[in-house]
Amino acid sequence: MASATDSELGVDATPWTLLRGKASHLREILRPFIRVLRANPLTLIGFILVVIISTTALLVAIVPVISQVVLGHPVLLTPYDPNGISTDYSQAPSLKHLLGTDKLGLDIFSRVLAALPLDLAIGVGIAGFALLLGGGLGLVAGYWDKPRTLGGVISAVILRVTDVFLAFPSLVLALAIAASLGRGTGPSILAVLLTWWPYYVRLTRGEVLAVKHRPYVVAARAAGVSEVRILFRHVLRNLIEPLLVYYTLDIGTVIITFSTISFVGIGVPLDVSEWGTMVEAYEQLLLTHPWTVLAPGAAIFITVLAFSLFGDGLRDILDPRSRRTLVQAVAATTLPGQVAGAAEA
Amino acid sequence: MVEPVLDVQDLSVEYEAGAGTFHALTGVSVRLDPGRVVGIVGETGSGKSTLAHAIPRLLPEPPARIVSGKISFRGVDVLDLPKWKLPLLRGTGIGMIFQEPINSLNPAYRIFDQVAEAVAVRKLRDAGESPTLFPAPEPHDYSKGMVVKSGEALLHPIATKLPGRRRRARREALMQDVLDYLRLVRINDPETILDLYPHELSGGMRQRIMIAMALSAKPSLLIADEPTSALDITIQAQVLTLMKELMEEVQTSILFISHDLGIIAEMADEVGVLYAGHLVEFGPVEEVFANPRHPYTKLLLRSVPAQYKDDGPLPALSGSVPSLANVPPGCPFHPRCPLMRDACKTNPGPLLEPVKGISARTHLSACYYSDEVARKA
Repeated sequence: MASATDSELGVDATPWTLLRGKASHLREILRPFIRVLRANPLTLIGFILVVIISTTALLVAIVPVISQVVLGHPVLLTPYDPNGISTDYSQAPSLKHLLGTDKLGLDIFSRVLAALPLDLAIGVGIAGFALLLGGGLGLVAGYWDKPRTLGGVISAVILRVTDVFLAFPSLVLALAIAASLGRGTGPSILAVLLTWWPYYVRLTRGEVLAVKHRPYVVAARAAGVSEVRILFRHVLRNLIEPLLVYYTLDIGTVIITFSTISFVGIGVPLDVSEWGTMVEAYEQLLLTHPWTVLAPGAAIFITVLAFSLFGDGLRDILDPRSRRTLVQAVAATTLPGQVAGAAEA
Repeated sequence: MVEPVLDVQDLSVEYEAGAGTFHALTGVSVRLDPGRVVGIVGETGSGKSTLAHAIPRLLPEPPARIVSGKISFRGVDVLDLPKWKLPLLRGTGIGMIFQEPINSLNPAYRIFDQVAEAVAVRKLRDAGESPTLFPAPEPHDYSKGMVVKSGEALLHPIATKLPGRRRRARREALMQDVLDYLRLVRINDPETILDLYPHELSGGMRQRIMIAMALSAKPSLLIADEPTSALDITIQAQVLTLMKELMEEVQTSILFISHDLGIIAEMADEVGVLYAGHLVEFGPVEEVFANPRHPYTKLLLRSVPAQYKDDGPLPALSGSVPSLANVPPGCPFHPRCPLMRDACKTNPGPLLEPVKGISARTHLSACYYSDEVARKA
């Protein structure tokens, strides 16, 4: 025990003991997360899926770029060129074409895989933009809402503009904007981007209004903490959990909305691999060549599900209260021998 | 005559609500001398908390509105301060302890971070790194109550546990003070609770931590707003004992607000009795409780159950506290007062005007007939 204390103190510290201290330190931080994940298998499944999906998307996106630089020619991670027409048209799933091919001989698996980075980036990016913009505006609108002050006027303006956007169903508004901008990846991203943030304004404002009158905020004010510091340290800190959970769940919704715009035929052009576009393009083949439609549909389903499961469990990981309870629950169900073993290790 | 720490004169506060105007405080005057403890006692809805929150300007305005009066704290007119200066007044000038310790600690932070924030407020102001209204160092010496004054705690393993160089540096800089203040409130191994969250502690521990936070800013005036009401009776006794010990050690002036006559009798030097937003009686605590000069105080004291004594049903005050939306004109207590005369209905009570030359008047009462009240056993 004494030696452990010495090494943590940096007494007689060699680079090796310092490094080892760092590693155990990291393990110490991660431990509660790992326990929560183990206590709730659905979160674990969601978490694993999110990791797999994100890693795959990253590799599919960057390997061609890196190989272009290093080797002089791009190396695709997809088995076939997603836009390469071949003579193997209308094939059922086989070992050669895992998810079959369409009428032009395009490999469905390659197209679904090639679409992954785009769809994921859209989900994460658009929801992220909405979180930052809407969250920021909601924070201001919620915290400085006193009528007849400058802050009150600003917050009223923010909320009325938000109301204008919220007056239309977001999908209808996004479709209208996308249709007026013309077909293309950029315009449809812009359409969703413009319609998505108002929800975050409302959500954040509601949470701020709930938190800012909590006794601990008054207590912080009574302790002489400045308003800006209270806003960030006491109000925002207690919003992070609900916002992050909502954001994670929202990634799937953005992907679905974006795919819907493509599905209606005013979104991403046909030569760009995108799940919604693929479902639209193959829609008439549902009865004769079902794999062409089901594969991108399943990709949307799995991605959305993964983020939903993960988002649900994220609440437990982030909230100190439920985290400790879960950890204690796991500790209670762990066999005494295991605990003793872990303590010794 | 000593310069008072706090001088509240003729303070009136209203709440503007949809249903009408609520007169939470009407013409309340309280004076607090250095090192003294003034208790404010009153029923629910008598305006105790409004008074507690009005002094450091913590009332939400609107709906609250300070209609008239003057609050002078260490010679500074609090009601005259611009808004941006208010944080400078709070914490180091006027500290506060709240009723519900569980809700008054931020659930997202560990104990260390909670206390460190309070310590940092004082440290930065003393070091001149952030502006302050009261640059003069406080006259109190807090070191008496501190058990250990060595750097020992810094060497504790927990001190090196947090990630990040900046956070660790901050942690080390504030660690000694945090541990000292936790020991000051009689937490014996403060190292063990530094990394816990508030919900993992008992109510009594949480209130100790709130007290440590309030004291760590070394306020000249501490406002304790029913600090023990949310605690169960044994913990209440512990916290009160602690506060009593601390009063001697830190010698801060305290405004102690409670609905419990026993606690006030135990803690306070002077007591003010609030009824429907009016201060009806004010004076040394022994005087007020032994010879009440206002019928309300008298009846209130009579309804306190006596120990080991059974003389039938407890006398209760008939009627109920008037709604603050329509406080009766004249003396607010007249509808329930057994001594009520016609004058009481129309003329407001002479607000604590001491009539000189009558030796029996030992303290201030808002009753016209205070002599009569005092005479009647």
